[in-house]
Amino acid sequence: MTTLPRVTGEAVARIEARDKVTGAASYAADHPLDGLTHAWPVTATVARGDITAVDDSEALRDPAVLAVLTHANAPRLADAGDPMVAVLRSPHVAHHGQIVALAVAETLEAARAAAGAVRVTYDEQPHDVVLTADRPGLYTPDEVNAGHPADRRRGDFDAAYAASEITVDAVYEVTPLHNHPMEPHAATAVWDGDALTVFDSNQGSTVVRSTLAALFEVDEADVRVVSEHVGGGFGSKGTPRPHVALAALAAKAVGRPVRLALPRNRIAAVTGHRAPTIQRVRLGADADGHIDALAHETVTQTSTLTEFVEQASVSSRMMYASPHSLTTHRVARLDVPSPSWMRAPGECPGMFALESAMDELASACGLDPVELRIRNEPPVEPDSGRPFSSRHLVDCLREGARRFGWHDRDPRPAVGRDGPLLIGSGVAASTYPVWVFPSHAEAYAGSDGRYEVRVNATDIGTGARTVLTQIAADALGVPLDLVRVSIGRGDLPAGSVAGGSSGTASWGWPVHKACTDLRQRVSDAGGHVPDGGLFVRADTEQEAGGGTEYSRHAFGAQFAEVQVDTVTGEVRVRRMLGVFAAGHILNPRTARSQFIGGMTMGLGMALTEGSFLDPEFGDFTERDLASYHVAACADVPEIDVHWIDEDDPHLNPMGSKGIGEIGIVGAAAALANAVHHATGMRVRRLPIHPDTILLGL
Amino acid sequence: MDFLRPASWEEALAAKAEHPTAVPIAGGTDVMVEINFDHRRPDVLLDLNRIGELHDWEVGEDTVRLGASVSYTRIIENLRSVLPGLATASHTVASPQIRNRGGVGGNLGCASPAGDAHPALLASGCEVEVASVRGTRMIPIDEFYVGVKRNALAPDELIRAIHLPRADGPQQFSKVGTRNAMVIAVCAFGIALHPSTRTVRTGIGSAAPTPIRAKAAEEFLAAALEEGGFWDNGKIIPPAVARQFAELVSGAANPIDDVRGSASYRRHALGVMARRTLGWTWDEYRGNERSARCA
Repeated sequence: MTTLPRVTGEAVARIEARDKVTGAASYAADHPLDGLTHAWPVTATVARGDITAVDDSEALRDPAVLAVLTHANAPRLADAGDPMVAVLRSPHVAHHGQIVALAVAETLEAARAAAGAVRVTYDEQPHDVVLTADRPGLYTPDEVNAGHPADRRRGDFDAAYAASEITVDAVYEVTPLHNHPMEPHAATAVWDGDALTVFDSNQGSTVVRSTLAALFEVDEADVRVVSEHVGGGFGSKGTPRPHVALAALAAKAVGRPVRLALPRNRIAAVTGHRAPTIQRVRLGADADGHIDALAHETVTQTSTLTEFVEQASVSSRMMYASPHSLTTHRVARLDVPSPSWMRAPGECPGMFALESAMDELASACGLDPVELRIRNEPPVEPDSGRPFSSRHLVDCLREGARRFGWHDRDPRPAVGRDGPLLIGSGVAASTYPVWVFPSHAEAYAGSDGRYEVRVNATDIGTGARTVLTQIAADALGVPLDLVRVSIGRGDLPAGSVAGGSSGTASWGWPVHKACTDLRQRVSDAGGHVPDGGLFVRADTEQEAGGGTEYSRHAFGAQFAEVQVDTVTGEVRVRRMLGVFAAGHILNPRTARSQFIGGMTMGLGMALTEGSFLDPEFGDFTERDLASYHVAACADVPEIDVHWIDEDDPHLNPMGSKGIGEIGIVGAAAALANAVHHATGMRVRRLPIHPDTILLGL
Repeated sequence: MDFLRPASWEEALAAKAEHPTAVPIAGGTDVMVEINFDHRRPDVLLDLNRIGELHDWEVGEDTVRLGASVSYTRIIENLRSVLPGLATASHTVASPQIRNRGGVGGNLGCASPAGDAHPALLASGCEVEVASVRGTRMIPIDEFYVGVKRNALAPDELIRAIHLPRADGPQQFSKVGTRNAMVIAVCAFGIALHPSTRTVRTGIGSAAPTPIRAKAAEEFLAAALEEGGFWDNGKIIPPAVARQFAELVSGAANPIDDVRGSASYRRHALGVMARRTLGWTWDEYRGNERSARCA
């Protein structure tokens, strides 16, 4: 028997790359259908109230307009247990921008004009949309996102903090942030009797399918969801969002296929966003920088529709040795759009706060920030006492420091000068937990020597399709081009959501299992696949469904160098370096893009992305890409990425940790710390604006 | 919405006369954004894309006649030596795709105070050639901007071309944004030295209801340059003069606080840009003088 070289670990090009760049790849709004109609949403112009009347007479005057659907006339959806998709069910308006009606017409233009002509009257009620750290109504949730307890206490924080030689006490703020994937939330829906087909942009069509079945009270088997290509999500497509329910509802109402692509400027209000956080961090340490007391207290907001609590304090429970620890979350239920997942929810804003505070502690102790982190390396995970399955933070810090030239710098702040520019560098640690969810897969060997693998994974631009093909080829022991992997359809074996950096592990595991099993069957058959082929099924309900005796996280170290213009206050990034330890990297090419993408998004969070909820109207002022500034190419300098290969036997058969989110974690803190090193100024509120810098210099 | 596609300039003028509320569209880089954002819904769109001569330019002895639809890309590629200020400003317009479509006529038609071309146009002292079925007239740029997003065009008029004096000295443009590209200016500044008349002209963007000149700053600087014999001796401008010029530029602005920046930041940034661009242009002028003398 010959052994082929492994293809996992190889820089395999994206399988669908050619389809994507030539436009052959069909996204949710690309599917032509006979009799297709178009929909356009009408959104609430008040932040709280009840609809008293809808005047659609003007809108319906155009014969091209088929319907104006509202809570009063739309087919009533069943309760699927998710308020995000409970569309057009009630006259109540819970937030500005909520979809209150949907115009459906023969053309997109007619639908849009009709939506603009609908007159909605409200019984407007006073709204409450302003988050402050001391406002009334803050409460302790039962749990925060990802199922963590809201509060954890270890030891006696107050006493230990009071007794500490060196203390840091600072408040960090992050504004609301918006996901804004390149492809907007879009769906095309068509009914055939009680059977529904939906082309939808989402991060997991298995859940979309079950949710639609529940909403319309039909069999799951009669719901077909196709999501073969998805143009990004960053969490905002992690569960079914209103567009898919509305498209299916409208298709039912008008008896024809309906396409709905949410306009860019409506996305912020109805598809989720990163909730703002106000985080107080207190660190108490001895003069050598050993942390004795650590408190991380987060105040955030949720909507009146859902309870989503950004778990910003959670990473402080496991990052550093901290004998006395207090980590809490308080949340206000406001008349605001519902927050949801955005790339590394919890860790991303939380590590901005913790890693900024660590930099402040390093300054207070007169210690190198890399050394401070190394000194506080915990022997076991502090919160649970479990051992880490693998933890190479120190290696990432050391390797990063070496590659970055960290130790060549003058540690004093505000001394690096290049004419009117102040130059500084910063470091921050990064972490992201290892998630894995049960999934199913099928593998089929044809008598022609070809293989087919089926799993309902979703490739949101990550390269999932490619990596799964690599995993399958290795497990089968055959060349890559003999394997075809089908993903992105609700009728495929159930796959978990493309979220929590869990996709490769969750889908790859049953693929590996099925393919390993199939390889054995082929071998048992004497190496010849009989006519009719061989077929196996696998799932990981057992393996991935239970707990683990290990604390499993990926780690990383982020380094950044900035220049601050003392005359204009502009901050520009000169270079960034990320070094990560995330198990085995299965495809360096797509992995590198994931890391760089995350770091770029962190650059945006630090310097350009910010959103403001207008207290007067309760809506976001930055609703489109002209005002919500994601970093442009010209803002992004050289970004260098390296990784340390980890051999961790406690993960999955591929030995991989997720990499989709860790790149954003810590990036903003590294940049803010670099701004401090450059200027001597601490900026604790993101994004860092030139105005703020100028006032402080 | 009616969509009119005249095949010739005469047809376009006739259409505009018949539909005075028609919104002209050429590159569409402003109009389409406004339509997409629902900021306006014109009854009639007047498409000027079939009119080839709007894309032409002529470089004369003293002036450049720039067709209203000449794209920013073409300006950058072809007119840098004769219109350096406008070419520099054109570089900062949006993205390559937008620069391939958009032209100065659109900037003038929309007359947004944030339009990137305005400071350079004001600093150059150009004239705008506008036409209607009633005839053609030239509007000096100083009289062109009359209010927030309003210009001096009559309802039946269209912008045919811009007549810009060929640069007789160094010109510069500077812009501050919250990111490095594809951004609406927080504020912008243009300067042109005119050695032949021993004058200086300026333009300020995004810091007042309309694009404006900093006239007091121009007059102060011209007087200071004259008094010190700087045009002839080519000496370095004293820092005190540059500072005073910068302060007068700041003072000319009438900015507001908005999501892009605060009024005080805008004033500060204008002063910085005024000082910097003056330094750049003066260095270039001195360099040119020196090489001219050596030759």
